[in-house]
Amino acid sequence: MSWYDTNLVLIQATITGLLLALSIQIPLRMGVFSFAGVGAYGFGCYAGAVLVLDHQMAALPTILVTTLAGGLIVLVLGLFINRLNGLTLAMATVAFDLIIGVVAVNGGETTGGATGRYGVISDFTMGHMWTILVVVMVLVALSERGKLGRRIDAVRDDPELASSVGIRVYNYRLAAFFVSGLLGAAAGAMNILVRSAITPLDIGFHLIVLALTMIIVGGSLSWKGAVIGAVVFTWLPDVLQVIGEWQELVYGVIVAVAAVLMPRGIYGLYVEAKRAVLRRRRTRRGAVRAAVAAERARTTDDDEALAEMEDDLGSPSVTPGGSMGANL
Amino acid sequence: MTTSANERVAHAPDSGTPVFEARDVKVYFGGVKAVDGVSLKLMPGLIYGIIGPNGSGKSTLIGAMTRLTKLTSGELLFDGEPYHNASASSIARKRVARTFQTVRLLPDLDVRDNIRLGADGRQDERPNLLSRILGIGGSPATDDAIDKAQLHGFESFYPSELSYGTQRRVEIARAISTNPRLLLLDEPTAGMNQTERAEISQLMKSLKNDGLCQLLVEHDVQMMIDTCDHVFAMNFGKLIAEGRPEDVVRDPQVQEAYLGRKWREHA
Amino acid sequence: MQDLLSVVTLGSIYLLFALGMSLTWGTIDILNFSHGSIFMFSVFTGYLILDLTTLPFLPVLLIGVAVGALMSLLVQVLAFEQILKRATNKKTAEMQILIGGIGVAIIPLAIAQHHTKSNPFGLRESSFELHTWVVGDLRITNIAAITVVTAAILWVAMALWLRRSRQGLALRAIGVDTEVASLMGVHRRRLALATMAVSGALAGLAGMLFTFSLGAITPESGDTLLVKAFACIILGGIGSMRGVLFGSYFLAACEVWVLTQTSGSWVEAVSFGLIFLVLLIRPTGVFGRKEVRRT
Repeated sequence: MSWYDTNLVLIQATITGLLLALSIQIPLRMGVFSFAGVGAYGFGCYAGAVLVLDHQMAALPTILVTTLAGGLIVLVLGLFINRLNGLTLAMATVAFDLIIGVVAVNGGETTGGATGRYGVISDFTMGHMWTILVVVMVLVALSERGKLGRRIDAVRDDPELASSVGIRVYNYRLAAFFVSGLLGAAAGAMNILVRSAITPLDIGFHLIVLALTMIIVGGSLSWKGAVIGAVVFTWLPDVLQVIGEWQELVYGVIVAVAAVLMPRGIYGLYVEAKRAVLRRRRTRRGAVRAAVAAERARTTDDDEALAEMEDDLGSPSVTPGGSMGANL
Repeated sequence: MTTSANERVAHAPDSGTPVFEARDVKVYFGGVKAVDGVSLKLMPGLIYGIIGPNGSGKSTLIGAMTRLTKLTSGELLFDGEPYHNASASSIARKRVARTFQTVRLLPDLDVRDNIRLGADGRQDERPNLLSRILGIGGSPATDDAIDKAQLHGFESFYPSELSYGTQRRVEIARAISTNPRLLLLDEPTAGMNQTERAEISQLMKSLKNDGLCQLLVEHDVQMMIDTCDHVFAMNFGKLIAEGRPEDVVRDPQVQEAYLGRKWREHA
Repeated sequence: MQDLLSVVTLGSIYLLFALGMSLTWGTIDILNFSHGSIFMFSVFTGYLILDLTTLPFLPVLLIGVAVGALMSLLVQVLAFEQILKRATNKKTAEMQILIGGIGVAIIPLAIAQHHTKSNPFGLRESSFELHTWVVGDLRITNIAAITVVTAAILWVAMALWLRRSRQGLALRAIGVDTEVASLMGVHRRRLALATMAVSGALAGLAGMLFTFSLGAITPESGDTLLVKAFACIILGGIGSMRGVLFGSYFLAACEVWVLTQTSGSWVEAVSFGLIFLVLLIRPTGVFGRKEVRRT
């Protein structure tokens, strides 16, 4: 058997994990701190099972219907909770995810209660899976380029500034919900089609943690980060078996260190390194000298200007949060 | 740095349709009356200024004009059309551009992309679908703004690698690149030295020659006199004087409220 | 009547747990997502120690308090302080603290899961014995009584401390405005550490009392409680002492009510549903004041 065949299960898990991670990453990239994609994933798993088992639908229509339904559900959720900010929005979406789990337990025959649904066999092939993945990844990658990419950056980092250059921030935020619903539900539907069984235990709080760790360790600002995260956390448990019984602890330490020390993840480190190289190359080419000369030409007091420049180097421009904090 | 007498006469606030008009604008934060019944008109092709001590409501007024700050009451009109219920982004699409009191550049975009963010909203800058999706192709409006703000050589720098004064010029360039009809500058020269200030003043005047209406909030009285055609003085959220800059700064009420000893020394 | 008693007991557990979270969130702006893990690990430590030797009730509680406070301090120094040091603005800092908390929480969870194979564990080796008093047709356990009284005392003590003392004033100042607080000469770091320690101690204490009354917990118990505590805080209003009191007992009442009306499997949905409802209808909570923002 080839490497591909022996590792097929892990490859499938990487793909669904990647889409799940993207369903959290896309809203994060737009400054919407929402975990609703995980709820859509849970919905996708069950909806896929129901459509295939109870309605004898084929694989592709199942995925299509489930994905759209997931997107709409999260969009409606977004319409309600969009005005919440930061942490409260995050927690509202966590509550949404957990409610999906409770509904699954109490759904009677439709969801199969605590035992869930099993035996979901369809005509789904790896060809389908790869095609969907490629289409999604191309679309996501394009959203990071050009005008759309710049505008998403603005909406995330400074919504006020974004609206002052004419960006409809509200629409972007709603789109973030919709897309995360689409991605989450697609991931869920594909998961049930390759795994063939689902129980309420599979869609708990730990799934939020898993999706979040993938993009925190991989990198939250680019699809490349999500790919790194999905690969690392799908294959890490396998690799860590060498370490033996403490693999979970090692896993925990990696996540904690990444969350604290490198909030932009592995891909973020790469971007930083690339910028540093660019800076050095610029110095060598003398472009910087020209720029500094231009800077000097326009300043009357050279020393002062240079000192100011040095001060400013490395200190990122801070935009005040403007919050008065909580009251007591 | 002198303005010709002809240009000075140009300020005749009551003829023609104003670009912008505020009618009895009030902005209250809880019990604080930040802006308390301000009415003013801005005519095309002139540079206006607002002076006033810290906390007198200058920035809040700019915030209200761009709809980023909620209006308590009053009316705002652009080109004679009321817009006080419209969203901030729709005002920006009507080509009202602004800079902020603090530098607000996006840390993950280089100088060129930061400026292009403004050009992205322009109607006349719509590249074909393919190049837009792929993010390729140039942007004449961005090049032009880089030109005007003298930012050549800095295009591929990131904001954190720039001096404060240069960051401010990028801010201004971003606002210019939207091809505005009204440009609001909230203390654009804070932290700049005299030479840099003169350059900004020069830039504003060249924009004025293109017919752009500008509103400048500034502490530097000399720059106000050098740059503006018409100045409003604010204190405690109200307009206390307006007119030619030289006259306004000599107004006893204004001197009392804001300039005090400092201005007399200046003179 | 028996139901009312259940409400008060359950509400007191929620209060003890949520009080710690509310304290840090309302004052130093830290929504500590490792609070549940600290809660669980305090009990786990107690369980390990009781494996070696038998201890009476009070020392076990003290172990919980000590372990909770220590872990909380560690989290603050090793994780949150590092994040705040590197953060560029408040919004991203908030988010990173949430994520950092989730990340850090994995470590104690992994240790406990590894050791117990994810099975429930308890404090059976303590010499503490459960008594049940029967008053009329009411049945009251001694641990329930202790829990309720402890929660009440601690809540009153905390409320007084925040209102009266110098540190309390300073903490409230930080909660309102960091700049004002620093003008007042507040040692922000020291106060933040003290707050985190108190918060962790409360988590440890809540853990021990919770386990004594329930018999056992699982390594994952902390996660569920975390979301419930969030519901309690949101319900009452962030940073409000009366709010967290109200939220805790209200949530307990709703849960007990649902438990008596349905088969029980919907109970978990109560807190999640309440979070939604409050955020939609009154995001500032019942006792929360509106934030005044200036741009």
